[in-house]
Amino acid sequence: MSPTSRRYADGLGHLQLLASAIAGRSLEVAAVEESKPAWTDGVTVFVDADVDPTRRLASLVVQSSLIGAGSLDPTILTELLRRPALCLRYLTVEAQRALSELEPLLPLSVRGLVDHDLADRSRSPADSLAIAASRENLAEPREEFGTIRPRLVQSPTTRNEDGDPAQGYVPRGKGPRQLHELDREDDVVGPVGELLSSPVGGGGGIGRLLRRLFGERRSSGGGHPGADSPTHWSLRATRGSGLIAVSTVAAPVPEGSWFGRRGFRYPEWDSHKRRYKPHWCTVEEVEPEPSLLQSFAVPDTLRLRRALERLGTDLERHRRQLQGDDVDVDATVESFVELKAGSAPDEAVYIDTLRRRRDLAVLVLLDVSGSAGEPSATGVAVHEHQRAAAAALVSALYELGDRVALYGFRSQGRAAVRLLRVKRFRDDLDQHTIQRLGGFVPGAYTRLGAAIRHAVAILEKDSGTSRRLLAVISDGLAYDHGYEPLYGEADSRRALAEARRRGIGSLCLSVGARTDVGALRRVFGTAAHASIPNTDVLPGIVGPLFRSALGSAELQRKVTQNYERTKGRRGTERGTA
Amino acid sequence: MTNVTRPYYLPVGNEERVFKAAFHQGLSVLLKGPTGCGKTRFVEAMAFDLQRPLITVACHDDLTTADLVGRFLLHGGETKWVDGPLTRAVREGAICYLDEIVEARQDTTVVLHPLADHRRQLPIDRFGITLEAERGFCLVVSYNPGYQSVLKDLKDSTRQRMVAIELDFPPGDVEEKIIVHEAGADHQTAAQLVALGHAIRRLETAGLREVASTRVLVAAARLVAEGLSMRAAARAAVAGPLTDDPLVTRGLFEMIDAYLSEDSADGTD
Repeated sequence: MSPTSRRYADGLGHLQLLASAIAGRSLEVAAVEESKPAWTDGVTVFVDADVDPTRRLASLVVQSSLIGAGSLDPTILTELLRRPALCLRYLTVEAQRALSELEPLLPLSVRGLVDHDLADRSRSPADSLAIAASRENLAEPREEFGTIRPRLVQSPTTRNEDGDPAQGYVPRGKGPRQLHELDREDDVVGPVGELLSSPVGGGGGIGRLLRRLFGERRSSGGGHPGADSPTHWSLRATRGSGLIAVSTVAAPVPEGSWFGRRGFRYPEWDSHKRRYKPHWCTVEEVEPEPSLLQSFAVPDTLRLRRALERLGTDLERHRRQLQGDDVDVDATVESFVELKAGSAPDEAVYIDTLRRRRDLAVLVLLDVSGSAGEPSATGVAVHEHQRAAAAALVSALYELGDRVALYGFRSQGRAAVRLLRVKRFRDDLDQHTIQRLGGFVPGAYTRLGAAIRHAVAILEKDSGTSRRLLAVISDGLAYDHGYEPLYGEADSRRALAEARRRGIGSLCLSVGARTDVGALRRVFGTAAHASIPNTDVLPGIVGPLFRSALGSAELQRKVTQNYERTKGRRGTERGTA
Repeated sequence: MTNVTRPYYLPVGNEERVFKAAFHQGLSVLLKGPTGCGKTRFVEAMAFDLQRPLITVACHDDLTTADLVGRFLLHGGETKWVDGPLTRAVREGAICYLDEIVEARQDTTVVLHPLADHRRQLPIDRFGITLEAERGFCLVVSYNPGYQSVLKDLKDSTRQRMVAIELDFPPGDVEEKIIVHEAGADHQTAAQLVALGHAIRRLETAGLREVASTRVLVAAARLVAEGLSMRAAARAAVAGPLTDDPLVTRGLFEMIDAYLSEDSADGTD
């Protein structure tokens, strides 16, 4: 997308709600290419950003109504392929039918567009198609109605079929718009439809060939066009789709340079020499790049909230309250004694049953290393599963009133461990947060230990609560330069033990990944690690998982407190002796 | 009776007949419906028609059994029993309306069980007595199934003791009449607000906790009646209460501009 069109697109984003309301499902709004008529691909409505608002509104309403009234049904669209004249005639009739069907929902200002005589003749898209196919004399549709581009319409059901292994091309996350549209086109229409388009541009045979070439040589996830991004091929038997390109450079990493910044230094546990390597890893907190913002649907969190709400809350009877269910006899007697003695009695003489606030802070750490971009058993990238789980967890906890933060992490050697800031403890959870999360493109490696140590530091510094929890969402074990699996396992386990000593519980979730989870179990412990196929199962397991993690941290904290108290007492005894 | 005129309620289906039938048979009523669709107004109108006093309790998550039944208070040197709203309704034979019952704790709602079924009794364990409900006592609870911030569901044992009446936002023409009556707005204003409300109800955005209810549309119309422009009124009464998210707010403003005409008569926009 050119810088100009992106600027327009940004200016049109606020029309999104209007379009979604009329269509009855989530739509995006973007600017159409220079002086082309408005159209929609079923996901985005493209309207001219430069015309006057009344006309733009009319275009938007017509195109959204087409979606809302089911006019862009795939069976109809196949009839319209390769027949531009029929397409226009269909639009003339069907737009009227769609507008009149949704008329109560339309703004009054555009209701004038509805031609009831024409609209009443058609009861369904098929009727409209029949009228359009007849020899009857029909007027051309009004200019602001735009056009239908049957080849480019994407039905909502085909949207999730990205990354079909049979195609031998694995999208590694959300790429630039051009690549996206090609994918969509490829999904919906077969080669027949593609032959129609320009042979050189996007959808044609040559274009497809070029795309294949580019698509497999360079990850679609990022990098500047023309930039040199060396890749290597790796064969992994455990994964679903055979050949997978894993970039060895930071090309898909959007947030800027790996070098020349100052970060936080953390030690690393050397399991070979049984000692810490001091100041070994440099961790940096970075903002995800704004250009990659992308929203996605957050799964429904109602069940998840229900699973989490009772965590750490109990009813307790509190004595000496100003109001309550019952009279606190001890307090009453005391207050009478005070009264008789001539002093002012305490009026807090009731017993009340109150729910203890749980005072919980959770930091969610999402693995966005390259391996997460690989497809899961269902064909959808592991990253998308993990992202959905992270979004669901964070919104559920946020809505429950807990303090919650979300960071992505990946690394490129010990000097460049990155924590990508999605939501800090003090940030609100809004569309921006979701968009930041949606813009993540998996890449690079996993240095789990350093990421955990920094997350623990954040929890200690910013959480401000007594119960603290670190939730890692990862697909497999740590791997980085000089961080081979066994070494990484030992270091991560060590980092978690340090966290527990400070009263921070930890748990780990693997969503949709097919890697060996044994290693994660060894690091996190079987009670605090769960591997699930998708986010639907999350509500069922999250309660016990959180409870056990909180329990172990609580225990450890008490042990530490006891130890320190005894130590303190011994110190004073020795002092007095 | 405190009300001299009947509270304004336009029936959409057979809800009034069901309610009165349940009342005469001594059954408890469960009202389901989104917030702001007219549940409370419906109960008020029914209480007026049936000539019973209405006692309303807004439930919250710290509502205890004692809050409903009553408690001992200390007055000088003695303890004194004070009836709770539920006990009062049982004694007086009033309609007791527990608004948003799911907000109350589940250990609280079990006190309703013997009242809600055929026994119609309220045990008061502090005295060791059981009160028989007076004739005319009717328990009405309201419940919002899709309520976003509520995690509790109503217990099945509670639900099964009730007759359920489902209310929803009224259809466009009825809603228009309601707005005209409640706010004294003209039909043109009401029609535009109804179209806006219906459009917002179709949204499934994560940023919206609730949709635009009849109540907020009435509020907007009332602001218009005070001389505000329609857009300004809708921004204040519809967009503002629905969301805090700046992106969603901007989208809603855009919808308001599209749906409501610009009446420049007073220029308060």
